Amino acid sequence: MIKFVVFICGAIVMSFEILGSRVLAPNFGSSVFVWGSLISVFLAGLSAGYYLGGRISDINPSSRKLAIMIITSGILFVIFPLYSTPVSDWIFAMDLGVRVSPLLASIILFFVPSVFLGIVSPYTAKLMICSLHTSGKTIGTLYALSTFGSIIGTLITSFYLITLAGVHALIMGQGVLLVAVAIPLYFMNLSCRIEPSGPAGVMSDTK
Amino acid sequence: MLQKIYLAAFCLMLIPLKGFALEPSEKLIFEKNSLYQYIQVIEDTVKKERYVRNQRREMTQGGIYLNAPDKLRFEFTQLLFVSLAFLDGDPNDVLFIGLGAGAMPKYFTVRYPDAIIDIAEIDPDMLDVAQKYFYFKENERMKVHVEDGRLFVKRTKKKYDWIILDAYQNDYIPFHLTTLEFLKEVKSRLKENGVVAANITSPRRNKFFDSMVMTYKKTFPHLAIFKGKKSGNFIFVATTGSENRDRDSVEARARKIQAARRFDIDLEEFASRYEPSEVYEWVGAKILTDDFAPVNLYQHQKSEAQ
Repeated sequence: MIKFVVFICGAIVMSFEILGSRVLAPNFGSSVFVWGSLISVFLAGLSAGYYLGGRISDINPSSRKLAIMIITSGILFVIFPLYSTPVSDWIFAMDLGVRVSPLLASIILFFVPSVFLGIVSPYTAKLMICSLHTSGKTIGTLYALSTFGSIIGTLITSFYLITLAGVHALIMGQGVLLVAVAIPLYFMNLSCRIEPSGPAGVMSDTK
Repeated sequence: MLQKIYLAAFCLMLIPLKGFALEPSEKLIFEKNSLYQYIQVIEDTVKKERYVRNQRREMTQGGIYLNAPDKLRFEFTQLLFVSLAFLDGDPNDVLFIGLGAGAMPKYFTVRYPDAIIDIAEIDPDMLDVAQKYFYFKENERMKVHVEDGRLFVKRTKKKYDWIILDAYQNDYIPFHLTTLEFLKEVKSRLKENGVVAANITSPRRNKFFDSMVMTYKKTFPHLAIFKGKKSGNFIFVATTGSENRDRDSVEARARKIQAARRFDIDLEEFASRYEPSEVYEWVGAKILTDDFAPVNLYQHQKSEAQ
């Protein structure tokens, strides 16, 4: 189950990025600055998410907490259509230039959701490592699944989904999917028991 | 020895691949991967012609006759000028979205030297190519703005008599230049009785073409369509005026302009190809919007209209 969640989150990151270019084009065009802004903001969000996810996974990690974070990002996706157009129109009206405008829009629209999706990988890694004790294999599998998900997300979105529904409907659909995969995770009750004998456990206990 | 022969044969096989399969008479004179596309300038030494195109022949963006660089080489560029016959008078303010080889604005400015021309072109390398290889020159009446066409339309305060939409990336129009919202923005930049002309390619009638017809029809009260005979190009002419121009009035006006402005193309014959959009309208086609515009995918799907 948890591996499936990692796969889905990986798929949604890239799918969202592809759709992001469509969200930005009406107000900011399809210049190289738009693509540059979009890609760098997603990468910034992911790296912040990886860092943050690693940190908070050291504090009593549980699948329930992870589920809550994924549900939060899902809600952000579902309400995305409510704020994306006003935000884009507002930044367009400020007219900050062809570089700053798409960069600012990307930061406001895409940074926070990608931080949440970035948290998922290190957090699930931590959850699985404490229960399995085969850290190398676990981390490798999760990386592969997440990136494989991204490939599938990219292909399905650009080859197929775009003809099926509007960009905003697709983003809302992604939000619903995130919530749907997170709900079983919430009830799985997977967590890390800190063993009193382990030095790492002692350290995080005293923190 | 045998190995060397194989190697030589292999090398020979590779040669035609270079420059994406040129004809024996064709010579590659420039190529570049710009920020937006692969640009290739090809010269046909037998026909004495020069083209700018992307990867394949079907993606030709423009060209000239080397012996007569002021003539229009391609039918679709000639056909576009039929839209002048929908204007009540001479166009004073003109906007081109998409430069290509710059043949159309160059041809236009010779015949209408008083008109003020703006051209929006996203790719700075395309402008360089037009200037270097296609005799295109800016002047105080004809300016190129290196900017996304959609942004230019949204930002400009100016209004135009005649707006020409001919922005392509390879063989498709960027989606944000096809939508209802974009066409409404274009319409808002038109003067009263202004005219919009668009080049729409659809070699085999596809879903994209059907959607384009319906999207234009939803934005503009009147739409006439002119079909290319030598290629899969259609010229859409959309107008905002209260009265619709019929074929006879367009033909009459084309004849007049032809003589007055010394056109070396047969505007009257083009005008006779006038078809009202009803011929192509199909209610089952989806209107393209900023939210929903699967341009590339629709281009590869056959039309469902019958």
